[in-house]
Amino acid sequence: MGFTVSSITSTAGVRRLIQRLTGSILSLVVTLFGLLAFTFTLSHLSPVDPVLQLIGDHASASTYAQVRHQLGLDQSVIQQFWQYLRQLAHGNLGVSQSTGQPVLADLLRTFPATFELATCALILGAVGGISLALVSVWHPKSWIDHLARIVSLLGYSVPVFWFGLLGLLLFYAVLHWSAGPGQLDDLYLYTLTPKTGMVLIDSWLSGDRTMFFNAIAHLWLPVVILGLLSMASITRLLRAGLLEENSKEYVTLARAKGAGRWRIVWQHLLPNTRSLLITVVMLSYVSLLEGAVLTETVFAWPGLGRYLTNALFASDIPAILGATLVIGSCFILINALTDALVWLTDPRTR
Amino acid sequence: MRKSLLAIAFATLTTSITAWGATPPDTLVVAQSLDDAISFDPAQGFELSTVQSFNSLYQRLLQSDPNNPVDLRPTLASTWQAGADKHSLTFTLRDGISFASGNPIRPEDVIFSLARVVKLNLEPSFILTQLGWSAHNIDSQLSKVSANQVMIRWNADVSPAFVLSLLSAPVASIIDEKVTTAHQVQGDYGHQWLNTHSAGSGPFQIMRYIPHEVLLMTANAKAPTGAPKLKNILIKNVPEAATRRLLVEQGDADIARNLGSDQFSALQNKPGVTPVAVPIASLYYLLFNTKASPVLNNSAFWQASRYLFDYDGIANGLLKGQFSIHQSFLPDGYLGALKDTPFTYNPEKAKSILAKAGLKNVTFKLVVNNQPPYLDIAQALQASFAKGGVKVELLPSISSEISAKMASHQFDAAVTSWGPDYFDPNTNAAAFASNPEDGSSTLAQRANWHIPELTAATRKALTLSDNQQRAALYQKLQRQVQQSSPYVIGLQARQLIALRSNLKGYQQGMNPDMVFYNQVSK
Repeated sequence: MGFTVSSITSTAGVRRLIQRLTGSILSLVVTLFGLLAFTFTLSHLSPVDPVLQLIGDHASASTYAQVRHQLGLDQSVIQQFWQYLRQLAHGNLGVSQSTGQPVLADLLRTFPATFELATCALILGAVGGISLALVSVWHPKSWIDHLARIVSLLGYSVPVFWFGLLGLLLFYAVLHWSAGPGQLDDLYLYTLTPKTGMVLIDSWLSGDRTMFFNAIAHLWLPVVILGLLSMASITRLLRAGLLEENSKEYVTLARAKGAGRWRIVWQHLLPNTRSLLITVVMLSYVSLLEGAVLTETVFAWPGLGRYLTNALFASDIPAILGATLVIGSCFILINALTDALVWLTDPRTR
Repeated sequence: MRKSLLAIAFATLTTSITAWGATPPDTLVVAQSLDDAISFDPAQGFELSTVQSFNSLYQRLLQSDPNNPVDLRPTLASTWQAGADKHSLTFTLRDGISFASGNPIRPEDVIFSLARVVKLNLEPSFILTQLGWSAHNIDSQLSKVSANQVMIRWNADVSPAFVLSLLSAPVASIIDEKVTTAHQVQGDYGHQWLNTHSAGSGPFQIMRYIPHEVLLMTANAKAPTGAPKLKNILIKNVPEAATRRLLVEQGDADIARNLGSDQFSALQNKPGVTPVAVPIASLYYLLFNTKASPVLNNSAFWQASRYLFDYDGIANGLLKGQFSIHQSFLPDGYLGALKDTPFTYNPEKAKSILAKAGLKNVTFKLVVNNQPPYLDIAQALQASFAKGGVKVELLPSISSEISAKMASHQFDAAVTSWGPDYFDPNTNAAAFASNPEDGSSTLAQRANWHIPELTAATRKALTLSDNQQRAALYQKLQRQVQQSSPYVIGLQARQLIALRSNLKGYQQGMNPDMVFYNQVSK
């Protein structure tokens, strides 16, 4: 593999990188616009009446008319969308009807909670998934290979909320190894000042180590549950990719030339499956960042997934659009990052 | 070195683990869903979780006695006097009372509080606008008589007794004008600020509110009705009922609300936990859209349906503990509530009624909320109607979609619930037995049921001051609706909650606002 990183530091390489970045940013803007237009149209096609959802069945006709006007629903859909885009250009995402708060404030509160959970789960999922896939390729049809298959099958087929509830029952109610639902014990809710919105970091910054460990005690169980889900997809896809690569002739040749197992894995199998590896891990990250609504519900975790689901049930259009914008941006940015990483590390893609 | 670091981490972790299992001694921890909360401003708050907090945050001129809700007790007012024309009331405020801010409670606060509800015209404003109040006339209807007296007038033809009932509703909470106007933005009467803060005289005040996450209320030592026993109330958003059950079982919550019947059964005989089924005023009923098909407009079909509702099977079998059988439109506990249960599940009788009316192969689509207990009830109805030869197709939807379908009359039938808006029989009579055909969204209007006589009788009941006369008229109305209407009222709900056994003094009444934390100790 005659590839070195220094080769992209040439002027041509930098120019190509800038071109790619510009293209990515343009595609980000266009995709986000399309996503917003699509979500906006879908929201308006929904049979739910946002006014009724907000004021209930009992309110008077004059209240209905007033609230409909306040929400701008008496304007045409195109006018409403144009107004939304104008406000968006000024950084105003509107006010959520289901929380009564600015959508931006809601997103700044809920996204860090999901980000924290998703990132920790991904680290666990990626480390566990890659290790399991490697070992199962190393020892095909051994007990560890069967374990890898069982983990991926379980992760795929068992509903995550069921895992969550069972986990709570066992580790919180019976064994008392987990601190249970929520992000912190009630005691700390009075004292923690949110700085980043991520409890692990905020509690560390507060200097109170007991609070930090309490945050870990709350965090680990949902992380393990989601990590298992992520591990399942990573193990399954990577194992298949590695096995396919392992059956190729150059591996047989390497073996015939006397290369050791580790040498084959590190110098041949992994480099040749890195595109797959990066893509699988990043896709898993995206799906975790979308918000694991069921896990967040079971663990009373105030994340983005639950916020969006509540907004969908309430037909809260500003909140739906705001959350879609965040998830869409994550998706596009991570896709772009994946492309860039694959491009940087795999000369075959250039 | 690595081993010792690990040992320290493990030791710290286990120390924090052993600290679990008890709530702070000065704080009541309540696990419930806060996902419905939109506004803590009494002029807007109409969701279960915000309404449940209003008795803690605010007070009215008069309020229901927690032990006997029909009895209205002076709260911020010491006395009141009806005018000779029976269209006014003069209230005398209690001496020396003040808001949590320390500001004295004045007639100006009463006028401000009631007028802003009408001017803001938000969801619960219809409770007060029944008095003929509007944004244009409200200023002339409320006046200061003296430094501690305020007069309230109304145009509508209703008795002072009914007005007193309305003034005891949370929407008539008295708000600190000085604090609220200091937070006014663009003439919103402080509404935006009050969505997440409080400015009342209740036993608690909002210390911190994070939407859909946590509500922390702290004691108001200056409350006119006395300081509460606990320092804080912490209401945590725990959206999943199974998780709420685990929290109360482990002692990490003192109260778990809105449990399902399975969680409730699981908590029976658990040490340290007391499950309680609180009777509430919500009625569960079947409603037919009379314009959807000629069959659904046929009174024989309505009558047959009353014999196809498996009252006992649902209340005492399927959802045991969560419901009692109730077949009239006023819930048990309300003035004039009819306790008769003339109908039992009898498919043979239903078949003969349908055959006599020449109705064959009857089928209808039933819209239902996709959440328990609605879906459980609907499935039970599907089975019980099938025994009578009536085919029911279920259309599970989310609640907001059902509201929209019912408002636009795009449905055959719905199984749903009705909760009262204030503690007076009119709240249900005006829904079930009234269709003024003026755009009012009553249940009769949803059912396309045209009832000028019943509507006039419901209206007349509002003019009666004598409670016995009112009760008699409401009983007559209930019998009429019970015998012939496009509704099959079948069940009255109980709210299933669980309390830690060391908790004392918690009170909860039948209306959603009747949650009292001020006497709680542990």
